[in-house]
Amino acid sequence: MLNQASVLAEAPVSGRARVARRPPIWLQLPVLLVGIVAALPLLFVIVRTWESGWQSAWRLLWRPFVGGLLVNTLMLLVLVTALCAVIGLALAWCMERSDLRGRRYWNVLLCLPFAIPAFVSSFTWISIGPEFEGLGGAVMIMTLSKYPVVYLPVAAALRSLDASLEESARMLGYDRRTAFWRVTFPLLKPTLLGTSLLVALHMLIEFAALSILRFQTFTTAIYQQFELEFSSTQAAMLSAVLLAMCLVLLWMEIRLRGRGFARIGQGVARKPASVSLGRWQWVVQAMLLALVTVGCVIPLVMLGYWVAEGTSASFPLARIGETLGASLYLSLGGALLSCALALPVGFVVVRYKGRFAQAAERLPYLLQAVPGLVVALSLVFVALSYVPALYQTTLLLLVAYALLFMPMAQAPIRTALEKASPQLEEAARTLGCKPLTAFLKVTLPIVFPAIAAGFVLVFLDTLKELTATLVLGPTGLDTLATAFWSHTTVLEYAAAAPYAALIVLVSGLPVYLMTARKVRRRLD
Amino acid sequence: MNTRPLNVVARLAAATLVGTLLAGHAMADPVTLTLYNGQHEATGVAVAKAFEEKTGIKVQIRKGGGGQLANQITVEGERSPADIIYTEEAPPLIKLAQDGLLAKVDDATLAQVDPRYVDDNGYWLGITLRARVMAYNPDLVSEEDLPESARDVAGPEWQGKIAFVPSSGEFLGHTAAMIKLDGREATEEWLIGLKAFGGTYMNNVTAMKAVENGEVGAALVNSYYWAALHKEKGQLKSKLHYFSNGDAGGLVSVSGAAVVKASKHPKEAQQFLAFMISEEGQKAVLSKSAEYPVNPNVAADPLLKPFDELQPPQLTPAQIGLAEDALELEREVGLN
Repeated sequence: MLNQASVLAEAPVSGRARVARRPPIWLQLPVLLVGIVAALPLLFVIVRTWESGWQSAWRLLWRPFVGGLLVNTLMLLVLVTALCAVIGLALAWCMERSDLRGRRYWNVLLCLPFAIPAFVSSFTWISIGPEFEGLGGAVMIMTLSKYPVVYLPVAAALRSLDASLEESARMLGYDRRTAFWRVTFPLLKPTLLGTSLLVALHMLIEFAALSILRFQTFTTAIYQQFELEFSSTQAAMLSAVLLAMCLVLLWMEIRLRGRGFARIGQGVARKPASVSLGRWQWVVQAMLLALVTVGCVIPLVMLGYWVAEGTSASFPLARIGETLGASLYLSLGGALLSCALALPVGFVVVRYKGRFAQAAERLPYLLQAVPGLVVALSLVFVALSYVPALYQTTLLLLVAYALLFMPMAQAPIRTALEKASPQLEEAARTLGCKPLTAFLKVTLPIVFPAIAAGFVLVFLDTLKELTATLVLGPTGLDTLATAFWSHTTVLEYAAAAPYAALIVLVSGLPVYLMTARKVRRRLD
Repeated sequence: MNTRPLNVVARLAAATLVGTLLAGHAMADPVTLTLYNGQHEATGVAVAKAFEEKTGIKVQIRKGGGGQLANQITVEGERSPADIIYTEEAPPLIKLAQDGLLAKVDDATLAQVDPRYVDDNGYWLGITLRARVMAYNPDLVSEEDLPESARDVAGPEWQGKIAFVPSSGEFLGHTAAMIKLDGREATEEWLIGLKAFGGTYMNNVTAMKAVENGEVGAALVNSYYWAALHKEKGQLKSKLHYFSNGDAGGLVSVSGAAVVKASKHPKEAQQFLAFMISEEGQKAVLSKSAEYPVNPNVAADPLLKPFDELQPPQLTPAQIGLAEDALELEREVGLN
């Protein structure tokens, strides 16, 4: 669905030979688990909305306030998604197809927003002044924090394209611009749409940054209404609207994407000749500089200022250390659990193609449109009703993290599994390996980089998670994100700053390792 | 090839899962109270700490919004791990009392608090009192332009000058009081005016700071938000304007606490409530939030107008109740 590998060819024919076979029970279990647990929040939303009855649903949803929320949410979603798509595509082209100078450095700088959560940059901007409140500020800050989500995959897709296609088009009489839009762009479209969809879905559920920016959407309203009212009905109902919007987005993406294209045949893709920017070189350099300055430098400088301000007051080192420990522990746990579930689910889907497995694989994607609070409330309800021993334990919180962020691990792992041909494993079997050994020795090393990438992505998201942590975590738990939040809501910028700085530092390391590796690989 | 990565990953995973399963059940023997704190975080922490020091009984704090925590106790029912709930406003406590989820507060404790600020049936009690005021910035709103009643700030002359927080329980209480005093129609008109001419803020702290920074002329808030900012900055440009003559804009509400019925340590929980209204407990609360103490032996912050000089409307928190009518009206108007 959100699979960014749609440009690739289908799995080889020999993969189909296994369709009839059933996966072993130990592979079916995780699939079953994901299928059931991921369905819970959706059922919760539907049942709660249903229980309140049509009349009450109509009365609660058909009011001017909800209309305002709809307008706000849609404006933010459309503007941010469109801007991210344009910026992402333009950057990808400049980095992959032009003679832009200093590409090595730009590549690292352009990935920096991954390490600066949107709520941290919102906090730094708002601490400068109230001018950044409202739609304008929200669009600016969300775009600056989300464009790498589009840029990186589109750049990767552009890099892997065979330049000979475009060259043929040129020879047949297209000028460079027409050749790009008629030949190259359609090939990039699936990736561009898939990644834009991720941005759009995120706009539906962003909470912390938009609250700080005083911009109201469905998700920020869900929290407020939940606080004013003593039931989760209203929250469930507004989430139902978000789910409906999510389905519309998914449908639009499928309609717009069209059919995928595959490069058939072996051999190395031809490297395209780079386009000279000429006089535009400096214009592009200036624009990139502006992008990085506004997106990263200013927030980081402001953050540094507040950290310095904070140290002059009191710096509760013990407490900061404790929250850092909790954050690392939970984020690593969440990432491990997500990968541990994504791997078998991806494996069953790719190798056995069962109906149930395919449905189970898609459920977590739908959850991308359900706010963390609602996912947490559904788990509170289920845990208390059926497994009270789990209530307010770290394990339940990790389950919530897995539900919320699993797709980040699912997408790369599935793509990698599709590339790992079962023939290799079969060859190992004929040489005397047991099935598990064959998997461990042959397939796992092939998909390991994808698991690592998924792990990092889930880790980064978990580190920023706020609302599910507050509702589900063990009593007394504080993470970097929740401690930051407690101080920010009462505008204690200096006290909030050390937590924000630690989030940036902790996320910065994996982001740096990822991008640095990419740079190295390209230079080889 | 090597299988190391998986081995390490698997072991880490197993260790994490086992460790976490145990983590939730580690505490046992000596009594540890669990406080669901919907009051400002620092305030809850301060009382809990003072209580720990005095009695040696540990207090674990779960933070969250009052409404959210009350809702959580409702879902938890008999299984609730909470012993005490402490909220910024009375409605979450009123709701829990209605649903039979609270235990009665000890008579001896109730007797120490003015009956206006405790539940009629004794299920919760007020800890501190909070007065609504208008904070204003003299650079933008001159003293002679100050309105006599909060009713008067909803007109075009206040365009862009008045801030309010429609998502707060305090504003909801204000609206509910106005419905009781002036009727539904007048309140509806007032809300429509505020919506048209005023600026909405996400919470009282942001509204208060906006006034101080000159971004907006005045804000309808509770007085301790002004006092808190005063404490932080040492000196403030903005001032407080108290509505008198029983105006809804001068409503006094309570921040309260209760013992959860499912509490496994009711004795210690009652002890905690008694401590909250003792001189030491009240001082701990006031050290973090300049509200009015319910204990007459404790002095309020001298920055604020003395409590007996206030002229709030004669409406008790019990009379305001859940303020469901106010929420409905705010929704009709499009504020919520």
